Amino acid sequence: MREDSLWTNIFRKQSAEKTDTLNVLKNIPLFQDLSRKELRQLERILHQRTYKQNEVIFNEGQPGVGMYIIDSGEVRITLGPEQKVLAVLSKGDFFGEMALLLEAPRTASAIAGKPSKLYGFFQPDLFSILETFPRTGNKILLRLSQMIAERLRRSNLENQELRKKLDSLSKKER
Amino acid sequence: MDVTVNRFLKIVLAVLFLAALVWLTIKLSNILTIFIIGALLAYILDPITSFLEYKGMTRMQATSVVFLLLAFSLFLFIYFIVPLVVDQVKVIQHSFSSGQSTATINRLEQSLKESIPMLKNVNLNITAKIHEAVNHFSNSLFSLVGSLISLITTLVVIPFVVFFLLKDGRKIKKGMVSIIPNRYFEMTLNLLYKTDQQIGGYLRGQFFDAAIIGFLSVIALWILHVPYFLLIGTFAGLANMVPFVGPLTGAIVAILVVFLSNGTVNQMIMVAAAFGIIQLLDNVLVQPLVVAGSVQMHPLIVLFAVIIGGQFWGILGMFLAVPAAAVVKVLLVELYRMYQSFNLTSQ
Repeated sequence: MREDSLWTNIFRKQSAEKTDTLNVLKNIPLFQDLSRKELRQLERILHQRTYKQNEVIFNEGQPGVGMYIIDSGEVRITLGPEQKVLAVLSKGDFFGEMALLLEAPRTASAIAGKPSKLYGFFQPDLFSILETFPRTGNKILLRLSQMIAERLRRSNLENQELRKKLDSLSKKER
Repeated sequence: MDVTVNRFLKIVLAVLFLAALVWLTIKLSNILTIFIIGALLAYILDPITSFLEYKGMTRMQATSVVFLLLAFSLFLFIYFIVPLVVDQVKVIQHSFSSGQSTATINRLEQSLKESIPMLKNVNLNITAKIHEAVNHFSNSLFSLVGSLISLITTLVVIPFVVFFLLKDGRKIKKGMVSIIPNRYFEMTLNLLYKTDQQIGGYLRGQFFDAAIIGFLSVIALWILHVPYFLLIGTFAGLANMVPFVGPLTGAIVAILVVFLSNGTVNQMIMVAAAFGIIQLLDNVLVQPLVVAGSVQMHPLIVLFAVIIGGQFWGILGMFLAVPAAAVVKVLLVELYRMYQSFNLTSQ
C-alpha cells in the first residue's frame, strides 16, 4: 500500500514505546519543544476519548475542529464510500492537525481499527493556550507550521513525480 | 414489533425526563436565579482572570485576586450605595403617601384631559396607577434584598458560585464535554466555542455599557440636582440594554421626576439634553468600543424578551432577559448551522 503524504505520520519515531501520557505527548513532533511544565499545562486541556472497534472518529466532509493523538489502539484513515485505506496509525501517531488552523471539511475519514484511546487537541484549545500561555502556544504553532510546510514540500515532490510519469505516458501514447 | 415498542418506550422516557426537568426548574427557580447570577458574573470576570493568569499567576491566585476585588467593590456597594438607594425609595413612598405629589399629578391629569379631547370622559386615575407602580417597585426591590435569610444566602452563595466557577470553570466544562458521545463530541465542542465567543463578547459589552451609561447618568442627574438621581441613573444604565425604548424610558422617568418635584421647565430641558448627550456618547464612543457587534439582536426580540422576563420573574427577570435571549438566539443559530454542516441525518 502506498501511504498518503497528507495523512501518514511521516514524523514517526520508531523507538518510542513509553507508557505515560507526558511521554506520549513529548514524542509528538508538535509538542517536542515543550518543557515538562508546559506539557502538563497542555495535558490539562486535552480531551481524552475512548473508541470501540470500527467506531467512526470523524467522517470525510465534516468540518474539522482539531487533531487526535493515539494513546493506544489503532486508527484507519480511509477515503471515499469504498473506504480505501490511506494510512493505518498506532500509538504515538497523530492525525487531523491541519484542522487546527483551517476549519475546512475533513479530506478523509478516521475509524478506530481496534479499541482505542485518543487525545483530542482542538482549535479552541489552541486559541485558549495562545491567550493564556502564549510562549507555549507559540512553540506549538511554530512546530505546526513547520510540519505543514514539510507535508506541503513532500506533496509537491510527489506531484512533480506524478507529472513526470504522466508526461512520459502521454509521450509514449503519441 | 420489538423495535416499535423500544422506540415508544424511548419517547415516553424522554418526555418524562423533560417534564421532570421543567418541574424541577420551576420548583428550584429561586436557587437557580442565584446560580445564574453567579455564573453570569463569573462569565463576565473570566477574561480578567485569564489575563492575570497570562501575567504569570496560577489560576488559583488569579481567581483570588479577582475575587478580593469583587468582594471589596461589593462591600463599597453595600456600605455606601444600598443605604442611599433605600433612603431614596423610602422618600418616594413617603411623598406619595403624604399626598405631596398627588396635587401635581392631579394637575397633570387635568391638563391632559383639557388638551386631548379623546380623554375627556375617561377616568385616567393616574395617581392610583403611579402609586401602585411605585409600591410594587419598592416592594419588589425590598423583597429582593429584604428578608434577612435570603439576603445572607444570596451574599454567601453568589460569591461561592462565582469563586468556584472562575477557578474550576474550565475543568467543569471539560468534564461535561467528556460525557458527550463520540458522535456528537466534535460538533458540541465547536458549538460551545462558537457560542462562547459570540455571547461572551456581547454580555461583557452589554455589562460594561450599562455600567458606563449608569455612571454617567448618575453623575449628570446629580449635577442637575435631580431628586433620586441614584435610582434613576441606575435604572437608565440598566434600561440602556433595551434598544430605543430603554434610553427613552430612562429620560422620561427623569423628566417626570423633575416635573413631579416642581422643577422648572429649564431643569427639564437640561435633563433631556443631558440624556441626549449621554446617548450620543454611548452611540459614538462607548458602543463601538465595548459592545462586540457579533450578536445581532433585533430590538423587537430584546423588547419582547424583557417583557416576558418581567412577566415571569419580575424586575430581576427583566434584567436577565437580554442575556438569556442572546444565549438562546446564538445557540439556535449555531445549532442549525452545525446540523447542516455535520449532516447528522445522513450518517
